[in-house]
Amino acid sequence: MSPTNYLLLSGLLFTIGAVGVLVRRNAIVVFMCIELMLNAVNLSLVTFARINGTLDGQVMAFFVMVVAAAEVVVGLAIIMSIFRTRRSSSVDDANLLKY
Amino acid sequence: MTPLTPPPIDYAAVAPLLIVLGAACVSVLVEAFLPRHQRWPAQVALSVVAIVVAGVTLGVYAGDAPAQGVITLGSTMAVDMPTLFLWGTLLVLGFGSLLLIADRSVEPGGAFVASALERASAGAAPGSTTGPSGVDPEHVDRSYGAPGDAPTMQTEVFPFTLFALGGMMAFVAANDLLTMFVALEVLSLPLYLMCGLARRRRLLSQEAAVKYFLLGAFASAFFLYGVALLYGYAGSVRLSAIAEAAVGTDRSDALLFGGLALLIVGLLFKGSVGPFHTWTPDVYQGAPTPATAFMAACTKVAAFGAIARVLYVAFGSTRWEWRGVLWAVAIASMVIGAVLGLTQTDLKRMIAYSSIAHAGFLLLGTMAITQAGTSGTLFYLLAYGFTTIAVFGIISLVRTADGEATHLSQWAGLAKRSPLLAGVMTFLLLALAGIPLTSGFTAKFAVFSAALSDGMAPLVVVALVASAIAAFFYLRVVVLMYFSETPADGPTVSVPGAFTTVAITLGVVVTLLLGVAPTLVLDWAGAGGFTG
Amino acid sequence: MIALAPLLFVLPALGALINFLAGRRANAWGHWLGVATVVASFVIGLLLFFETLGLAPEERTREVSLFDWIASGSLNVDFGLRLDPLSLTFVLLITGVGSLIHIYSVGYMSHDPGRRRFFAQLNLFVAAMLILVLGNNFVMLYLGWEGVGLASYLLIGFYQDRPSAATAAKKAFLMNRVGDVGLAVAIFLIWLELGTLQYTDVFARIGEVPGGTVLAITILLLLGACGKSGQFPLQSWLPDAMEGPTPVSALIHAATMVTAGVYLIARTSPIYNLTETGRLIVSLVGVVTLLIGAVIGCAYDDIKKVLAYSTVSQIGYMILAVGLGPAGYALGIFHLLTHGFFKAGLFLGAGSVMHAMNDDVNMRHFGGLGKHMKITFVTFGLGYLALIGFPFLSGYFSKDAIIEAAFAQEGWQGWVFGGAATLAAGLTAFYMTRLMIMTFFGKERWRELKGPDGKDYHPHESPATMTVPMIVLAFGSVLGGFLLYSIGLYEWLAPSVGELRELEGGVLPHALVPWLVVAFSLLGVVIAYLVVGRRPTPVERPSPVSVPVRAARRDLYANTINETLIERPGIWLTRALVFVDNRGVDGAVNGIAAGLGGGSGRLRRLQTGFVRSYALSMLGGSVLVVAALLAVRFA
Repeated sequence: MSPTNYLLLSGLLFTIGAVGVLVRRNAIVVFMCIELMLNAVNLSLVTFARINGTLDGQVMAFFVMVVAAAEVVVGLAIIMSIFRTRRSSSVDDANLLKY
Repeated sequence: MTPLTPPPIDYAAVAPLLIVLGAACVSVLVEAFLPRHQRWPAQVALSVVAIVVAGVTLGVYAGDAPAQGVITLGSTMAVDMPTLFLWGTLLVLGFGSLLLIADRSVEPGGAFVASALERASAGAAPGSTTGPSGVDPEHVDRSYGAPGDAPTMQTEVFPFTLFALGGMMAFVAANDLLTMFVALEVLSLPLYLMCGLARRRRLLSQEAAVKYFLLGAFASAFFLYGVALLYGYAGSVRLSAIAEAAVGTDRSDALLFGGLALLIVGLLFKGSVGPFHTWTPDVYQGAPTPATAFMAACTKVAAFGAIARVLYVAFGSTRWEWRGVLWAVAIASMVIGAVLGLTQTDLKRMIAYSSIAHAGFLLLGTMAITQAGTSGTLFYLLAYGFTTIAVFGIISLVRTADGEATHLSQWAGLAKRSPLLAGVMTFLLLALAGIPLTSGFTAKFAVFSAALSDGMAPLVVVALVASAIAAFFYLRVVVLMYFSETPADGPTVSVPGAFTTVAITLGVVVTLLLGVAPTLVLDWAGAGGFTG
Repeated sequence: MIALAPLLFVLPALGALINFLAGRRANAWGHWLGVATVVASFVIGLLLFFETLGLAPEERTREVSLFDWIASGSLNVDFGLRLDPLSLTFVLLITGVGSLIHIYSVGYMSHDPGRRRFFAQLNLFVAAMLILVLGNNFVMLYLGWEGVGLASYLLIGFYQDRPSAATAAKKAFLMNRVGDVGLAVAIFLIWLELGTLQYTDVFARIGEVPGGTVLAITILLLLGACGKSGQFPLQSWLPDAMEGPTPVSALIHAATMVTAGVYLIARTSPIYNLTETGRLIVSLVGVVTLLIGAVIGCAYDDIKKVLAYSTVSQIGYMILAVGLGPAGYALGIFHLLTHGFFKAGLFLGAGSVMHAMNDDVNMRHFGGLGKHMKITFVTFGLGYLALIGFPFLSGYFSKDAIIEAAFAQEGWQGWVFGGAATLAAGLTAFYMTRLMIMTFFGKERWRELKGPDGKDYHPHESPATMTVPMIVLAFGSVLGGFLLYSIGLYEWLAPSVGELRELEGGVLPHALVPWLVVAFSLLGVVIAYLVVGRRPTPVERPSPVSVPVRAARRDLYANTINETLIERPGIWLTRALVFVDNRGVDGAVNGIAAGLGGGSGRLRRLQTGFVRSYALSMLGGSVLVVAALLAVRFA
């Protein structure tokens, strides 16, 4: 199977993630959509590693996973704290700062 | 199987970075093991010493650094003249911000909330925007001191600051895109948290943190996808390898330009440029003011340092293709910043729009792939950073019983009550507007003339118009301070403690010095170019 | 001797500094210090002048470099002086007339509590003006340019308690800024093209600059000149500037500062020599201005404003002259010098009249003053004759030369320039005669009136500190033209502005022109006598009547020309201009501001506060950037 298909899949997943960020209200789901985007990138990194015949891309995917994990820690902490204050996890409720 | 040889490391070159990151790790340990009442002095001492030592190390190294720079740590770091300049800038700006962060005299316990109070007010009715006033004594964790005691400061902000600073330093020196990505996250994650730490106005602060985090992570994903595409294009993420590949490769240019576009979107987000600025006003307004100062000054330096390096080293040869697009982005940024700033009523928000306009001006300098463009950008970053820190320092001093008075109407007639503060603020605003004899003028001059000589005359005209429009809203504040009647329940001006005083004085003096005698710093900024 | 050159401007600057800083202690002697510094400068100027006169013509341009002023990167600016015939001529005019006016001010300001401040500002002006003319590069020119602007602003607003003075000062400042922007941009352009701002280098290498840029530079320089010299379309601040004390009007707004525009064009003559179009625009501006000034001058009753519009008009002549290129630079400077004498004298005379008439400026309240102030009358009268070009007085030489040169142009330019200049000469004679008659002749209308301060008028001659400078200037008005002409001013100026080109060709025979000009002037005098001199002048200004029939029935023939033909259209024109200004110019400015504000108010609604809409804008921006980059590459 041609590697190009994996790239297309990766692009598709990235797009789904981006659209998800736009359409979902729950902060946790929005955040998961962003994780989906990161993992879509991982897929294309690994595919490019295969195409290029080097290991760099696979190593980079590991880096990305670690970074994503750190991001989860920080992100969940922030979302939890605002959830405690507001008793709501909808991103549309946090709407005091505008104009 | 060949033995694994670790790459050689030029420790002297990267010492400042290692010192800051090492101090950040120690700072985490301090937070974990020291009793609460000892943490503030220990953390302040540690951070200040770390930054000063890093600065001295940098100075010693820069004294006889090779002019063409060194590439070390297995070619992941390029320590060249712009890097050294940016490191120096970041360290002094970080030092100034740190002083603002550490200050406890203006607001009892500092601007950063202790978690006990946070937990306590979490139990209070949501919707209360004035924080600890609704504290239920039952929920107060006694280990943080009795409710009647002066509130303690959340000292976690110190390791955050140091990590963010280290991340920024790595960001501007990164010689490959993966390092740049990791550094981007190292600098961003602590900033997200710092935004949510305001002692008062908790809802605003947390909202700012959520917005910044979600949008920042979103932008990181774009950046990363750009990295992936460029990796697919060049087979490597080293900046120089991308530049080589751009000259001759059989891969599709769609990868190159798609990758560049996504990469640059991620970077422009950090620099709060153009259509990617949307987070800036909300976050600047919601975050605690010292954290805003740190973000506004240092993040700008890091973001534009990285943009300049990427464009110069990796995409210098393809500039004719991408320049038109960045023209549009720069124009959008300048227009958005200048026009939207006109009707802002919150001072911090106004400065945020001003920073968007300034980001557009800075983009002019980075787009000029010339020595003058680089040195102009570097100088601009230094000048803008100092002015901004001093501005936010001043803003943190004008307070009502509810906290900082950032609404413009509250600043009316301030000159009658505090002529000194109003005078300093006026000077700083004039610097932001780019009036001669301030650093803002010299910086704009340097950047615009570089852009002009690299064939961007129409853009410079737009920039001049935008700065004329932007001057209006700076002057509006000045007029308000001097020629308006004081409201009856106007804010008071706090007497700053030593830390804030030093930070503001530093900012003002540098703003004046760079305006009057810019030659020295300009020479230094122009000492050498990027190394690929 | 040349080592003394810096003292030229250092002395007045010191005078200004001491007077500013010394406070009340200097009240007793500050004004004499001011006088002394300027007189000393004049003496130094004379010494330098005679030294230069002793040199061969090609050695007469000397440069003194004092210190490196700005040295940053490729921009290097000397703080250096250029002593050449042009700058020395100006030095003598500024310090000479300046000395006289300083002396005059001692008497004129003797009762004013702000006298020390006045002298400090006057000294500041002299210092700045000397820097302007002495600098050897454009940055020093700009320094002096802004310095005189500042001094002018301060002095126009000298009577701080009068709102009208504050408004006038602001107006002058603002309109000058418009011009200054032109000058600044011109300097930027020169630097951008040549990388240097020293006159010597710029003039040597200006040929390398492409023609379009040279034209742009000349037009921008002209804009600067228009602002400073009250030329069309920036002329309207100058009459308002008469709110300042009269010696200021004489020195700054008649003799020296307002001629800086002429200096600028003469100084940059190597640039103007390269562009025919640029010079044509200069001449056109001069012609339009000299007509505007002369026409409006006919309509005013305020003695100082009439003189002010006369100044506008006369500077129009100079600008016309320098716009004629090598055939006119020296003529412009010549007229500038003679005008400096007689106009300063006229203003001092007007000041003397005001001094005698309780600071009233309305000529309708005067009349028959000649009997009461003989010295003022005679000196003023000589200045008047010089201004209208009475044969063999100084204005005759300089103005006729310009009109001749104008008629010597080929084609329509000859007719338009020459015709307008001749017509304006006639108008000049008309309004000046009207002024003379209303002030010094006829019925003593002031006998039945109270002054603006509520007291009776007691006209009297002014003290000697005031009359002596007037007498000296009157001598200058009578003899200056002939002297300058006969000692060879044109040859003297040749090293700076080039040889004066001989006139040839043109649309009228040269011998005819002086006759024509004198005839027109005479006509102006006669008409003025007929409409003003033969009938009593109403004390109240007759309000403009709406229909000519009623005017005829009332037999307002005496005022017909004055009020119906000139003033009413003038008022209409003014109203129309005000309307255009309010609705058009201000409307555009306010409209832009309102548009920006409104746009800002609407656009900020886009910042909805919703994270998801922010994400949408980011995604939209990213898609656009990706699409644009790919389109640029593959389209």
